[in-house]
Amino acid sequence: MNAVLAALLLLATSASAAPPAMPAAARIVSLNLCTDQYLMLLAPGRAVALSPLARDPALSTVAPQAARIAWVRPDAEAVLALRPDLVLAGPFGAQTTLAVLARHGVPILRTALPQDFPAIRAETRRFAAALGAIGEGERLIAQMDIRLAGIPVHPRLEVLALEPRGYVPGEGSLEQSVIRAAGFTPAPRSGRLGLEAIAAHPPALIAAAVAPDYPSLATDLLRHPALAAIARRMWRTADLTCAGPWTAEAAATLATP
Amino acid sequence: MIRAMAGLIALLFVLGLLTGGAGFGWPDPAIILELRLPRTLLALLIGGGLGLSGAVLQGALRNPLADAGLLGIAGCAGLGAVVTFYWGISEAFAPALPLGGMIGAAIGCAALVLAAGRAPSGPSLILAGVAVSAIAASLLAVALTLAPNPYALAEITFWLMGGLDDRSLLHLALAAPPIIAGAAVLLRTGPGLDALALGEEVAASLGRPVGATLRATSLGVALAVGAGAAVAGGIGFVGLIVPHLLRPLLGERPAALLPAATLAGAALLLAADLAARALPLLLPLAEEPRLGVITALLGAPLLIRIALRSAP
Repeated sequence: MNAVLAALLLLATSASAAPPAMPAAARIVSLNLCTDQYLMLLAPGRAVALSPLARDPALSTVAPQAARIAWVRPDAEAVLALRPDLVLAGPFGAQTTLAVLARHGVPILRTALPQDFPAIRAETRRFAAALGAIGEGERLIAQMDIRLAGIPVHPRLEVLALEPRGYVPGEGSLEQSVIRAAGFTPAPRSGRLGLEAIAAHPPALIAAAVAPDYPSLATDLLRHPALAAIARRMWRTADLTCAGPWTAEAAATLATP
Repeated sequence: MIRAMAGLIALLFVLGLLTGGAGFGWPDPAIILELRLPRTLLALLIGGGLGLSGAVLQGALRNPLADAGLLGIAGCAGLGAVVTFYWGISEAFAPALPLGGMIGAAIGCAALVLAAGRAPSGPSLILAGVAVSAIAASLLAVALTLAPNPYALAEITFWLMGGLDDRSLLHLALAAPPIIAGAAVLLRTGPGLDALALGEEVAASLGRPVGATLRATSLGVALAVGAGAAVAGGIGFVGLIVPHLLRPLLGERPAALLPAATLAGAALLLAADLAARALPLLLPLAEEPRLGVITALLGAPLLIRIALRSAP
């Protein structure tokens, strides 16, 4: 009887302990700019290779650190040669490569591309758990929340996010989430509005990305004199290209005159 | 005739000022000044330059298919403008944009004059032009692929099919002087073209040698088409169809066509640009149709009619 009880007790304690933790992956390859950044923030020591975009300072918030790590194109042979025990990828693109990797038994973790701050918290926790870096994840979320809480309360001004080619992101976009986090109201218009429509009903503020070094018609459009009378604040493309704890920086930039 | 066309241009000009992305009617004066006025004036000037260039080219090359677009001159102009624009040269020095277009157009003209000298027959000149046009379009695609800005390649539609959307007073200031200068040069080629219509020897004996006429044509076309393509991309068919529309009314004498071709080109491009602006207001279009698409849709059926009528 005692023996049975002891056995049951043993079973119960082992069941209540953490689920049989998978050994955290030691060799991680990321094929997507967004997962590159999560990897470099959560487990930089175990990153074997990143996507080539990770080292582009115009798009990546971890460019200096990423420049010290090898890069790999989404090419199944090249990735398999790195002997990864986990591959991080985006929801779109490189699907044929990922199918080959999956057939070779490589575990694949895909980002869900969050579009607002609650989703960023959930995504950070999910990646932190999968990479065996729960503490790091909680630290990143706490930092992000401090940054967001530090944003002063603004009058509820209407802000229009203006992207290259004159495109205005709509409801449910990351840009609108950032405008809300900065204490403003997103202008209730979206799509390709055209300069005339914007100039005819000007928002209180235009939020635009810092232009790249070289011109294009798409980015020159944002400097058209017809928009010169509308106040404007700049955010960094890299903070918005992917949504992550770093995106709080875009809200803070937008909130600061 | 001239008076009727001037009236039509005035009407289209006013309609152009009353139509735009903000809707029909009279908006904020800043919208008129910064957006609609430069755009409407550019359509007027570029269309006039294209119509006149077509009439002069058809006279000088004695070929009814001669046109800055078909012969690759506009394509070369676009290539020159692309190189100065995407590599930041025109950002540092704004006049580099029309200069790039004019240099490109001049190279295209030089290639054609060489081809015209070697192969004066109609079909081989047009073949040479089609080849120049293909090379220019390919190099344009290569240049946009290599351009350092990530949006460059997506903008190939603008450079190949043209457009006046969101042009500013700066573009007007850059393009207007060369287009007006080019038109002045082209309008003075009339006597040379008339002499050339009688044959090269007769022209030379009249003191209008073919070389001088071709040089003036090249200079004028390089200025008018080059500067236009630098700010509005490649707009085809205007120069091709305008002389064909006018010949039944004004006769075959090249010089008689020139003033009317200028006005008709201006009216045609004003109308096409008005359609480009009005269509997104009337139909659920995500963006404006390209200007070159509209001129081709207007021009190509006319060209087919002319081809069928003149067939033996």
